[in-house]
Amino acid sequence: MTDPYRVLGVADTADDEAIRAAYLAAIRACPPERDRLRFERVRAAYESISTERDRWAHALFDVAAPTVQEVLEILSGDLRPGCPDEQRLYRLLGGR
Amino acid sequence: MSHKKRPSKASAAPPVVKKAVLPDQAEAALGASRYREAIEDYKELLKQERRPAWLEGLAAAYAGRAEQLAQKGMVKEALALWRTRADMCGTPLIEGPYVGWLLEAGEGEQALRLLAGATQKLSPDAQRQLETQVAAAVLMAPDSALTALAADSPLLRHRAAAQAALAAFARGDDAAMAEHGQAIPFRSPYRDLRALLKAFSLYRTDARQAAVALTRVPADGPFEPLAAVLRVCVLPGEAWLASLHSLNEVGRALVFDIKGWPEERRPLVLELAKLSDGPASAAMLYDLLARHRSTLPADTAAQLCRRLLPHAPGRLKTYSASFGALCAVEKDHILALAAELKRDPEQAEDHWLMLVERLRADPAQRARAALVLRRLADERSRYDRGRPPDEDALAWLAQSLELDPEDRATHITLIRALRVRSEPKELRKCLEAALARFPDDAEVLLEAVETALASGAFRKAAALARRVLKLDPINPRVRTVVGHAHLSHARKQIAGRNPVSARRELDEAAQWLRTNADHGSIKLLRGLIDERREEGDALLRAGLAEMGCALVGSFHLVLEASYTRHDPKALLRRAGIERNVVPATSEVVALAHALNAARVGDKAVQTALDLLSDVLRGAAAEQFAESDQLVVCEALHRHNQRAMVRRYAEAALRRWPARPVFVYLRASAAYGANPWRMPQRELLVLDRALELAQASGDQRTALRLDDLLAAATGHIGLPGEDDDDYLDGLPGNDAGTMLEMMLAALGEDAFLDIVRKQLGKPVFEEMRRDLGGNKKQFIRALIELLGAIGPPPGLGDAGAYADPLPIVPLKPPPRRKRHTAPPDMQKDLFDD
Repeated sequence: MTDPYRVLGVADTADDEAIRAAYLAAIRACPPERDRLRFERVRAAYESISTERDRWAHALFDVAAPTVQEVLEILSGDLRPGCPDEQRLYRLLGGR
Repeated sequence: MSHKKRPSKASAAPPVVKKAVLPDQAEAALGASRYREAIEDYKELLKQERRPAWLEGLAAAYAGRAEQLAQKGMVKEALALWRTRADMCGTPLIEGPYVGWLLEAGEGEQALRLLAGATQKLSPDAQRQLETQVAAAVLMAPDSALTALAADSPLLRHRAAAQAALAAFARGDDAAMAEHGQAIPFRSPYRDLRALLKAFSLYRTDARQAAVALTRVPADGPFEPLAAVLRVCVLPGEAWLASLHSLNEVGRALVFDIKGWPEERRPLVLELAKLSDGPASAAMLYDLLARHRSTLPADTAAQLCRRLLPHAPGRLKTYSASFGALCAVEKDHILALAAELKRDPEQAEDHWLMLVERLRADPAQRARAALVLRRLADERSRYDRGRPPDEDALAWLAQSLELDPEDRATHITLIRALRVRSEPKELRKCLEAALARFPDDAEVLLEAVETALASGAFRKAAALARRVLKLDPINPRVRTVVGHAHLSHARKQIAGRNPVSARRELDEAAQWLRTNADHGSIKLLRGLIDERREEGDALLRAGLAEMGCALVGSFHLVLEASYTRHDPKALLRRAGIERNVVPATSEVVALAHALNAARVGDKAVQTALDLLSDVLRGAAAEQFAESDQLVVCEALHRHNQRAMVRRYAEAALRRWPARPVFVYLRASAAYGANPWRMPQRELLVLDRALELAQASGDQRTALRLDDLLAAATGHIGLPGEDDDDYLDGLPGNDAGTMLEMMLAALGEDAFLDIVRKQLGKPVFEEMRRDLGGNKKQFIRALIELLGAIGPPPGLGDAGAYADPLPIVPLKPPPRRKRHTAPPDMQKDLFDD
């Protein structure tokens, strides 16, 4: 994922305080000894948008293109697990 | 139509005389899995006598052949063969894989009829296995199809609970699903369904736990289609997307159901799944999102597509039709980023500057305009690496500060740029402005310290450094800076023959500095001012010892001698240094590290290296490790020690032939000052090294080789842009004259090489054939053609091939673009 806002789970309009809070929560949930890669991703995301100037710079100069995975994550952000359609379920198991 | 009766094959063909089949033959065919042959052999044998062993052999051969067919997906054929087997050999139909094949072929009801009629003939284990196999079929079958099953069959007894659990699952009623699931016993034929439903209920809250629960469901069980769906659902990240294709249409739809994807977004996700299988270009992703924009949340598609536009600027034309017009600011922004991605700094600068003009008109956007200006300066400096920032970069930084005077980072960037350019008046003004705005900022104060040091104001530097330490007591950088400030002041005092002050400064320096090298320097300086000769010599030797090795110590001693206006050779003698001893490789590497710490352009460094050149030359043939040899070469290269770099790089190439970085260093050392003198064979070597560097992912070396090749060939840009301007500067602004000059300067072959490259092989070869291979005529025709239509872009770099250079651009060429290939050597030209 390339979007630091999504990495930290904050809105595009989040201020310094909200971003710092999200960053601290993220590194508490994922300390470097548990998942180094994720920790580094979180830290890089924080460093890229921690101040207002950083956020402007990110908006102006970031050229990371969204990946298929990122698009999928954006599209599935508001999804909740659902129930299978009954007819499909029966068809899958060989019912008519 | 003719109805003429054709003779039958039987009557036309000669009668086939069958050979007698031996039992061994049949067994051998069966053992070798040649089932068709075995079937025929056993049939022949059974015609002679109906022996039980041969009957068993035939049954085994039929079974083997049916399995082979089923493995190929020919389930219907396998079923037919199994029925033949039962007829011919009297084996029970229900044994083996028959029921499984029936279910696979969608003949569940027939499987159930068979099961009802045959259960009493099977062992309890086989019966349980069979019941498990048909569990899904029983669950889905109409009640009327199950009348033949025994009333006490677990298939019937647990069926209602299994159906209720499945229905609860479809309703999303977890409580009812759990309750009915518990009514399915552990040994029930429906046990897999129970485990699966449990995993599904976990999936709603914890996909990882669900994945763990799924591992307990055996593969290829009666509910495998459902298990496969859940296995895809629990895959992390986008892996589930890539696995969608392993399911059938119904399975895919169920994955979407379970994940909660609305129907209207599913086609988009299925297309994303295809993209995720291979490398997806930005343009492909853009097109996909634009096509499905109506199914996405408001503005999501537009935002994503805007992010993709710099990577696919060709889509700018269609963007407005899909999402509405972009404003001028957005367009300039996207085009600037697109130009950067294309590595076209000139175009990027143009668009960034247009963006700045638009942004600065809006007071709310001025800080953003300031950021863009700083970025422009940074990029220019990055591009001109190693050179002081140019006027444009300075102007952009100054404008950036006008727009956003609170940007501390820009203040610091500008201060550093002015310091590098040695512009004291501007520097002082800028520093004062920064200090006025950030009086208690350690980083700004540190810049003030370094600026004071650069101007030789040591006391002022020390005072400023103390202010930094008050703000940041553990700042190691300022500690070093303060210590070095005292050291520098001490040198100044020593040079001015003022030993008392020098000692005082050295005492101060000793308090601040921590490294052995620094303490070594202090001892060397103390040795210089000690009036007692013997004690002074002892201090010099002690200082050298602190430096780690004689070579590094000698280097520092010569530096100190230069800084304090002493005779370096005399000091080396006093310190007991023998200058004709070849140093160990480790000493040379240590010297390389010391050189890396020394300032480029320091005359004292040059003096030191001159004095040490004999021993360094002697050490070049030593057996360095490759990485060490590189460190040494790079350090010497940094200080522009061309002869020495060449010696070390050539030694490296003897041991590691064609290593791109050493090829670069050797060529740079040999021709760096006059790259246009580089011969063609050297260009070829560099080109091969460039290919090697690119293939091995060594981007730094590739860029350096690219730069050197560009300097050597004088190439100024990719064809198509700006070349006309360049040609304007050539003497005689006439294409024909210019081409004649090129021909005279380069010679026929090199001229033809260039023209061939520029015109393209097809056109070039066609003309050559038309002129029957007459070289002179061909060249005349080319000059006429190019004179008439104008030389192709890029055909102005004649200097690349001339030795000495006959044509020199009269105005500075525009900024060159990256990758410039060296001239393609057409060895096969005019072979005839």
